[in-house]
Amino acid sequence: MAVKAFSNEWAKAFKDELNKSATYKTAGKGWKWTVGLVVEAEPDKHFPEAKGIVLDLFDGEARDVTVGPASEAQKSDFVITAPYSRWKEVATKQLDATKGMLQGKLKLKGDLPTIVRYTKASQEMTECTTRIPVEWPDEK
Amino acid sequence: MDVDSRALVGYDDDEPSAFASMLGGLIEANVRSHPEKERDFESLKARVGIWVTDIDEGVTLDFKGGKLVVHNGLKPRRTLTIRTDADTVMSLSNLKIGLFGLPVYYDEVGRGVAFKLLQGKLRIEGLLPNVMTLNTVTRIFSVQ
Repeated sequence: MAVKAFSNEWAKAFKDELNKSATYKTAGKGWKWTVGLVVEAEPDKHFPEAKGIVLDLFDGEARDVTVGPASEAQKSDFVITAPYSRWKEVATKQLDATKGMLQGKLKLKGDLPTIVRYTKASQEMTECTTRIPVEWPDEK
Repeated sequence: MDVDSRALVGYDDDEPSAFASMLGGLIEANVRSHPEKERDFESLKARVGIWVTDIDEGVTLDFKGGKLVVHNGLKPRRTLTIRTDADTVMSLSNLKIGLFGLPVYYDEVGRGVAFKLLQGKLRIEGLLPNVMTLNTVTRIFSVQ
């Protein structure tokens, strides 16, 4: 069943997908930092308020994924920021996250060598979002 | 002046591209945190172009012996030019450095890079006369 984009149900589904992924478990070994995803508001796409997703990731496991205000996500060790429609492109495989970061479509804050070292884990995280059936607010 | 107290990376453009900022930031962080990369950075004088084929964007890294100037796009008089896709750029920065400071091409990441080279999906212009320069750039660029 589809879940609402960037809702608590979506966060739970994302956590489950991460913990089901053998690829993420291997590629994320040694990771010990929090990741914040900031989804900027786009009122014309029926996404009126920014949201923040905080991923508590540790050693290849997703310990928690929560949705809250953008300000919470901005406190994370690594923060990736993009408007709602960009995140939708990532989650629907229209935008590769690596390319998006190199093009500045997804803005990254945090220690670059660390995130580059975990490229494979980041790519699998993106893959996990694409496996969640989502109800997009601009497609109602 | 040591690397802790001086600017290592400058940008030629008023608005560096995201790719330019990312590479400049990556190299600066690498050099500041690894003394062996600092030695390479201090000695390297070369103009290295990197063109990412699947986003149609590139940069020129102008290493000036202890200072790097990053340009948006490819500039003339390059020593080496690397043309490949975004994933391979990431793989290049994940190459391990082995014995004698040489990049490791026999582990999973290294084999992937070597295979792209054989397939023609990674092209390095100016390679033959500049193998040592490529190795030095790889050491500075690698996060491993």
